[in-house]
Amino acid sequence: MIKIKNLHAEIDGTEILKGLNLTIGNGEVHAIMGPNGAGKSTLSYVLSGRDGYEVTDGTATLDGENILDMSPDERAAAGLFLAFQYPVEIPGVQMTTFLKTALNAVRKARGEDELDAIGLLKLMKGTCKKLGISDHMMKRAVNVGFSGGEKKRNEVLQMAMLEPKFAVLDETDSGLDIDALKIVADGVNALRAQDRSFLVITHYQRLLDYIKPDKVHVLAKGQIVKSGGPELALELEEKGYAEFAQEEAA
Amino acid sequence: MSAIAKFQPRYRNDNAALALKEQAVLQPSSAEWVNALRLRAVASLNETGLPTQKLERWKYTNLPAKLKKMDLTYKDADITLSGMTDYAYSFPKGFSGFPSFAQEMIEQTPPSNEKYGDMMLWQAGNAYLKDGFIVDVPADTKRNSKAVKALEVTYTGHDGAQTSVRQIIRVAENAEFTLIEYQLGAGSYWNNVVTQIELGQGATFKHYRFQENSDAAVITQNTHVMMAGNAEYEAFTITTGANLSRNQVHVDINGEHSVARLNGVNMLDGKELADTTITVEHHAPHCRSFQNYRTVVDEIATSVFQGKIHVHKPAQKTDGYQMAKSLLLSGQATVNTKPELEIYADDVKCSHGATTGRLDDDALFYMQSRGIPEAQARNLLIEAFVNEVVEEVTHDDVKEQATHIISQWLHNLSSDDGEEAQWLE
Repeated sequence: MIKIKNLHAEIDGTEILKGLNLTIGNGEVHAIMGPNGAGKSTLSYVLSGRDGYEVTDGTATLDGENILDMSPDERAAAGLFLAFQYPVEIPGVQMTTFLKTALNAVRKARGEDELDAIGLLKLMKGTCKKLGISDHMMKRAVNVGFSGGEKKRNEVLQMAMLEPKFAVLDETDSGLDIDALKIVADGVNALRAQDRSFLVITHYQRLLDYIKPDKVHVLAKGQIVKSGGPELALELEEKGYAEFAQEEAA
Repeated sequence: MSAIAKFQPRYRNDNAALALKEQAVLQPSSAEWVNALRLRAVASLNETGLPTQKLERWKYTNLPAKLKKMDLTYKDADITLSGMTDYAYSFPKGFSGFPSFAQEMIEQTPPSNEKYGDMMLWQAGNAYLKDGFIVDVPADTKRNSKAVKALEVTYTGHDGAQTSVRQIIRVAENAEFTLIEYQLGAGSYWNNVVTQIELGQGATFKHYRFQENSDAAVITQNTHVMMAGNAEYEAFTITTGANLSRNQVHVDINGEHSVARLNGVNMLDGKELADTTITVEHHAPHCRSFQNYRTVVDEIATSVFQGKIHVHKPAQKTDGYQMAKSLLLSGQATVNTKPELEIYADDVKCSHGATTGRLDDDALFYMQSRGIPEAQARNLLIEAFVNEVVEEVTHDDVKEQATHIISQWLHNLSSDDGEEAQWLE
């Protein structure tokens, strides 16, 4: 279970998150929608611990542990996963090396046995097959020369292998055509489980046709301003975010 | 007016003594030509002094200042030949029965001295001509370079020693040969090496250097490669050691369809300075040359890379490539990069690139977000950076040894961080 309480965060002295509260139960999928500049991506970076985002108040706990005190790698070991809006290209680092290093670092931190090359390969092939991802991607450098769809599928693959308790999907739909979107959504749906929660950050309702959320929240001006069921997303799609912008202006 | 300052008498200084104070112990030698060569070199050095930073190609490296702080005595060089020693032999005592081809090579004028007037270390090598070896590979000696062992030369430096070495290598027509140099040692010493390589028509020579000298040592090297047509020269140097190192290479491509590859990896920390100065002279058409260097600089270390491709008028259809990438791991580290192209032929393809930067924060964060601790993420990125060049080595053993040295260096980097953190607490 993830509990975010009164979260305040700033970048270069500018406050972006202004007292955000959010609780996601085990196995639940929540969506956060909101206009540009509302603080959606900031939330994902604050949760994952990126440099330059300063938390000035509040807590974020994952199963009772405050993750905000941890380094990014410790957060990953604790069970947090961030699927990037723009996955980073890392020339010269092979996918297999990358996955093996990541997986073993996380396993080591969790007190599990490290995998040898053969164990990793088996797991990788199995996971690729399960998610319908071609394993030729594994022979290349991390995200280098990947298409937009391949990059996002790669995020899903990493998520599947690292088995997080809580996954944040930051605008996973951006830059994807409808076919790629389906493949990625299918991958995410395949990973839905009793002990795994998701936070889907998106600007458009489209993604939520494929990844059905339990709850939808509207983030505006650094706070959750409205929460509801999946129908809220449809409402937003129809009316846009003008309502919230007006509220802010008032 | 040439943009390059020629040697001027006003640069004369008295620092020649830093190199020459022990030279008299060598005289006289039994061979008259050796005596004469040494005396000419002594006279030349007394005239010019050692290279100072006023000289264009020594702008970033202050050798005399370093030598002044050292207390050295001339000693015999500690050289061990092993592996494929069939065609190699040490200089005979007193130069008796010295092969005439080797004498002719030694008596050649230092390359590019006319133009730059800065080949004093070559002259210092001549002044101390005594230790060294000859490799003479006969025509058509074919080796399976992967299966057959290379000639291995190990230089061991000893505290307080000034040593001087000459390597004379001739690979005749259609022969193949591989040389691996290992340089190591303890304490403060200076080893000055002059290497002359002559490659015949269709010859292939692979030349690898592991520069792991003590961090108080000075190592200066001049390498002159002369290539006939259809010849191939592959050099790879990995530098992790020495307080001050100068690796100067001059390649003359004299025949058509030859290929020269001059690659290297420098991994520097502490107060190390590593200077790589390369000149490739394309005299003949249809040749290719590649310079590819990766440098990682930590703490207050300094890297110097000066690479030049000079395409002479007849050298049409030249393909010249030069790439020097540097990674700064600390705010106090320094990288000096000077790429140069001088082209007189009108139908050539030449490119050069130089980058200096730090590790990619986005990539570091991406890896950390996947559970990889910061130090490990950083090491993976550095490894990937230098591997771009290591991958090009065509000798499997050398590639493996280089990979090992790199991972050892990275391991020390990580443990240094730990010490620092403890110290800060």
